[in-house]
Amino acid sequence: MHSLQWPGHNRHLHNRPRVTMAVAAVLALAVAACSGGGSHGTTGTSGNGPTGGTKVSGGTATWALQPSSSPNYIFPFSSSTYFSSVNAQEFQYLMYRPLYWFGNGASPTLNTGLSLANPPAYNGRLVTITMKGWKWSNGETVNAQDLLFWIHMEQAVGAQDWGDYVPGLFPANITDAKAVSANTLTMMMDKAYNPDWFTDNELSQLTPMPLAWDRTAAGPSDCVTNVSDCAKVYSYLDSQSKALSTWVNSPLWSIVDGPWKLASFNPDGHSTFVPNASYSGPVKPTLAKFEEVPFTTESAEYNVLQAAASGGSGQKLDVGYLPTTDAPTKPAGATVGTNPVNGYTLAPLIQWAINYFPVNLQSTTGNGPVNRQLYFRQALQYMMNQQAIINGPLHGYGSYTVGPVGTYPATSYLSAQGKQGDPFPFNPAKAKQLLASHGWNVVPNGITTCQDPSLCGPGIAKGHQLVFNLPYATGINWIESEMSQLQSNASLIGIKLNLEPKPFNQVTAIGAPNCVVAHNSCNWDMVNWGGGWSFVPDYYPTGETLFESGSGANSGGYSNSQNDDMISQTLTSHSSAALFDWQNYLSAQVPMVWQPNGAYALYEVSDNLRGVLPQSTTGNLNPEDWYFAQ
Amino acid sequence: MTGYLIRRVLQAAVVVLLVTMITFILLRAIPGNVAVAILGPSSYRNPQVLAAFNHEYGFDKPWTAQYLLWLGHLLQGNLGFSWTLDQSVASLLGSHLPKTIWLVGVSTLLALIVALPIGLWQAVRRNQLVDYSFTAMSFLFYAAPTFFVGTVLILVFSVKLHVFGPEGPQGGLVSDVTDWRDLTLPVVTLALVTIALFSRYTRSAVMDNLTEDYVRTALAKGASGRRVLWRHVLRNSLIPIATLLGLSLPAIMSGALITESVFNYPGMGYLFFKSAQQQDYPTLLGFIIVVAIVTVAGSLLADIGYAVLDPRVRYTRS
Repeated sequence: MHSLQWPGHNRHLHNRPRVTMAVAAVLALAVAACSGGGSHGTTGTSGNGPTGGTKVSGGTATWALQPSSSPNYIFPFSSSTYFSSVNAQEFQYLMYRPLYWFGNGASPTLNTGLSLANPPAYNGRLVTITMKGWKWSNGETVNAQDLLFWIHMEQAVGAQDWGDYVPGLFPANITDAKAVSANTLTMMMDKAYNPDWFTDNELSQLTPMPLAWDRTAAGPSDCVTNVSDCAKVYSYLDSQSKALSTWVNSPLWSIVDGPWKLASFNPDGHSTFVPNASYSGPVKPTLAKFEEVPFTTESAEYNVLQAAASGGSGQKLDVGYLPTTDAPTKPAGATVGTNPVNGYTLAPLIQWAINYFPVNLQSTTGNGPVNRQLYFRQALQYMMNQQAIINGPLHGYGSYTVGPVGTYPATSYLSAQGKQGDPFPFNPAKAKQLLASHGWNVVPNGITTCQDPSLCGPGIAKGHQLVFNLPYATGINWIESEMSQLQSNASLIGIKLNLEPKPFNQVTAIGAPNCVVAHNSCNWDMVNWGGGWSFVPDYYPTGETLFESGSGANSGGYSNSQNDDMISQTLTSHSSAALFDWQNYLSAQVPMVWQPNGAYALYEVSDNLRGVLPQSTTGNLNPEDWYFAQ
Repeated sequence: MTGYLIRRVLQAAVVVLLVTMITFILLRAIPGNVAVAILGPSSYRNPQVLAAFNHEYGFDKPWTAQYLLWLGHLLQGNLGFSWTLDQSVASLLGSHLPKTIWLVGVSTLLALIVALPIGLWQAVRRNQLVDYSFTAMSFLFYAAPTFFVGTVLILVFSVKLHVFGPEGPQGGLVSDVTDWRDLTLPVVTLALVTIALFSRYTRSAVMDNLTEDYVRTALAKGASGRRVLWRHVLRNSLIPIATLLGLSLPAIMSGALITESVFNYPGMGYLFFKSAQQQDYPTLLGFIIVVAIVTVAGSLLADIGYAVLDPRVRYTRS
């Protein structure tokens, strides 16, 4: 269960995490050290940005929301409508902590210190979760009942109202869940799964809820005990969550277990958080306030950032972002380029994600049989010049996509083969040879046609032309450049791509769903919304939802029984070998066209703000770590 | 006059109705799955959710049925509900419209205060250095895109000179009055383009009137040139300006859309921009209804203003 992501910016799209660039990226060009003004020594720089100075308690840190992005749902049990990074990671998680917290510096792995429970214990099909006994702000303990409350809610209304629900997976894959003591909950899985997968992709979705939320408008309810009571409870909580103006003073939403409480909220997106004095976690907030501010466009945000950096009037942004188009290109070999904003540290973030665009194997345009040919997909992949795109329109801020597992940040999930880099480096000669050897008359800068149908493949008639329509999302400069470049490259081997710029939502609506599964029109060949897939809140990069036959998220309808078997292995095998074997196999299969994973944002962090870097690769915010230094 | 007004109001109602229909059809004509666009691209993992959403909001019905349903709600004062912003469209418009009215109002007033004397001056000093200078500036600002003017003003007055804020007031309507430093640049941006337009029309109208017989008569009767200019010529020259003002309202509103986006000013333009990016159909429809009403009302007011300002004008059925 991974999620579609939006490149560069945007907000309401689902689970769009932000992943910090390598810690080292910040190291190289961190802002020049200045002499410390405090009694605790001098300031300097490190991989985490400027260091030193005197730690100051209090102060307000202001954080810029991504353009046209603002929270609109506070209940962490969010339906598809509200299941977004701006609601979850940048808002709800500050107050209501998920059971397991992911993100250890740049690594998208389980953070046991920030989790509400100890790591789960697996014994065959049995999973045991032991809560740490942290406190809600009303004094009650975050216990097994609170977790059961969530599980029952998901069992009752998850199929309709839980945004990360996938048919057949959690909670359908557990046969029993019960609180065996105040702090211990056990679950029986329908089979023995790979513990890493179950923890990272299933338990990662759970968020304990306070018993005070177990109510309806009529009064207290009992969803914790009776699943049948949960639908009405959900309905009530959903309605309360939609009353945006009541959030701050709500007796429901003011009960938190995270480090922050909501102090003010304006539906336009301005939010102010203050520390939760009852927070039980290891790091208590130092800041007096944490503010989130909305912007219409990244240009508007950059204007404010520049004005503040030059000492002008207007609000000061402590964490903002630099539009990629305004970023000087990163020199070859450098980890970060020149920062045009004085007084800030440039901290590019690349998501824990892969990027691709689907080729529709179920296309009804007449090109379906072509798209189903492995040699054709490989030929097209050879024309995707990832290196040129990273160095060009991405200004150096991007990573390669080499297969179904992300290459950034470095993780143990990526196979040795994957670490070797782009498996299909730009190579028109190889692409041409692939087509020619399969019966195509390759006409560079013309239109290649099928000459020998017996070699071209089933369903491809003699004279069939390699002409495709390719809608792509507008508004993302580097994607527009990439598409033009691919069009030009493809023409070298006689593939004609008719580019169709369209709004992002249109492109995803056309091509993101598996058209057969979603009963959508399959009358499209390829689409590119530019963002691929992010591994949040399902952090283990397996392919059950994205690449398995018949999956709703399998946009191009790639279907291969060997691939399906290998995915099944990754879900149950306790060995990394299954994951490595699968990704190596699928990488060469090119079920989608792999494309670079551009930086989510080029963050700018004020030099007197500490603790922001390295940001969590999962996109989770931890302003409780932040403090000002003098 | 009353009959004319009734006819014009009825025509206006038909125009607004047609606008709603065309807009509705265009929004529905966008390819792809509306539910996916609204629920988010990951929602297709669960077709059951998509089907339920389509059924609940009538997206599984023919567009005519959807339109009539929406129109029925509209006639009852229900503009719909924004899923992406999680509020009723009426409440969204209610919170954003006053800020835009304030921005547009202040900038239009400023534009009139500046443009009328400039136009007058240009007409009196036509074909002289003053006239050429203002003409050049008018063409410059009229030709310059709003976003460009706004960005340049921010870079000069905010980033370099630190005189004004780089974004509009972020609070409620009260902050628009008190945060004059933040309001200045959005107002000036919007006003500059309008000044260019109004001053050109004023110049032209004054020049036309200066050649009229009544001017010669007034001067012959001993009236001072200043008196003739301000009491007679300017008053008569305001007639086309009044018409222009009414017809310019939609253009000023659309200018506000860009200005609000550039200056991060949370008015109607900001709302429209955000909604367009997120395919928030109910909000887009609500916004367009408001703009359509403003446009039609502006045109109507221009006609009425014309009649009031020029008693020679009589509206008859013939």
